[in-house]
Amino acid sequence: MDEASRWGTPSVLTTAHRSAGDAFRAFFDIRTDPEQPVAFSHQLHLSKELVCTDCHEGVERGPVAGLPSVNTCLICHSQIATDRPIIQQITKLQEQGRDLAWQRVYGYPREAHVRFEHAPHIRSGVECSTCHGDLSQQTVATRVVEMDMAYCVNCHKAKQASNDCLTCHY
Amino acid sequence: MAYRWGMVVDLDRCTGCEACVTACHAENNLPTVGADEAARGRAMHWIRVERYWEGEFPDVRVKFRPVLCQQCGNAPCEAVCPTYASHQNEDGLNAQVYNRCIGTRYCGNACMYNVRFFNFFHPQWEKPLQLQLNPDVSLRESGVMEKCTFCVQRIKAAKSAAKAEDRAIADGSLQPACAQACPAGALVFGDLNDPESRVARLSASPRGSKLLEDLGAEPKITYLHRQGWHESNA
Repeated sequence: MDEASRWGTPSVLTTAHRSAGDAFRAFFDIRTDPEQPVAFSHQLHLSKELVCTDCHEGVERGPVAGLPSVNTCLICHSQIATDRPIIQQITKLQEQGRDLAWQRVYGYPREAHVRFEHAPHIRSGVECSTCHGDLSQQTVATRVVEMDMAYCVNCHKAKQASNDCLTCHY
Repeated sequence: MAYRWGMVVDLDRCTGCEACVTACHAENNLPTVGADEAARGRAMHWIRVERYWEGEFPDVRVKFRPVLCQQCGNAPCEAVCPTYASHQNEDGLNAQVYNRCIGTRYCGNACMYNVRFFNFFHPQWEKPLQLQLNPDVSLRESGVMEKCTFCVQRIKAAKSAAKAEDRAIADGSLQPACAQACPAGALVFGDLNDPESRVARLSASPRGSKLLEDLGAEPKITYLHRQGWHESNA
């Protein structure tokens, strides 16, 4: 972005693919999942009867679901499994006043001009798993659902939600 | 109930301070292009304050008129867009979808109010000015048209909050940045479908008129004449 000339990107490479490598990976659908700071297991936590909203607290209230801070982890882990190295690492982070640098798994490129809000989707009864897959089968979250525009539009049609462009793109 | 967003501009109250212009730039991440490019007509201001002189020096008066996208109901910019990037949405907003725009600039030529702007350049801000960008508003890349959205990001947020509480948006609780910044309260924004709203009552005023109304574009912005200049008060 910073290197882009004032006149924008060259016409061969679109704004979505800034380099030949980007274009190549997009064409062959090669995507690497981001590396998370700790190997958090969704499977393990969901099997202990936790639910998504316990850690992704913002999901019912606003646009972003939120990635939990170490304080959220330590609500339980100040008592539970304190002997594990990962938990000790997290406890140490909190003592130092630092936080985990979670990496986003799902998201949109800036050029898509997409504005997504979680809360209205939760209110209308869309399950988390509809867009994020069955996390009880995943350890570290991976991108299993391809969220292209057709995916959104099909569901909006089925649920008779607005399909006006301005609903998502502005 | 569907909304139909509109605005009333009271020319009696406008002092030409351009707070609306500044507020719009800040809210909507409008880039500046520099003096040379501005001289070539490439500057972007979603709202501008037009200035008209009346009389001969020293006996002159100045008239100010803020002009922004009139959100026409029968918009000429929409009819000429080959990709439907410019279209009418369900709330009567004249929407510009950046993803769809291929930069033909037909809309800019069709608009008789001159309120559509083409991005000749990639938006860039000198550090640390990029820190003041509004995260709720897209950065438009070079090659697309842009225009006043009536601060659609605020409309979306207000609608979302109202829907969560199962109520309608209260009149006056939602304002675009220009109306919010206007110290004289010259810009009044609201729902034209609600007969009780301030904007609906003011737009029915006998002082009201619309810009180039006879062209049939059905603009949604009503201008209230300065009282002294209106024929009935002359």
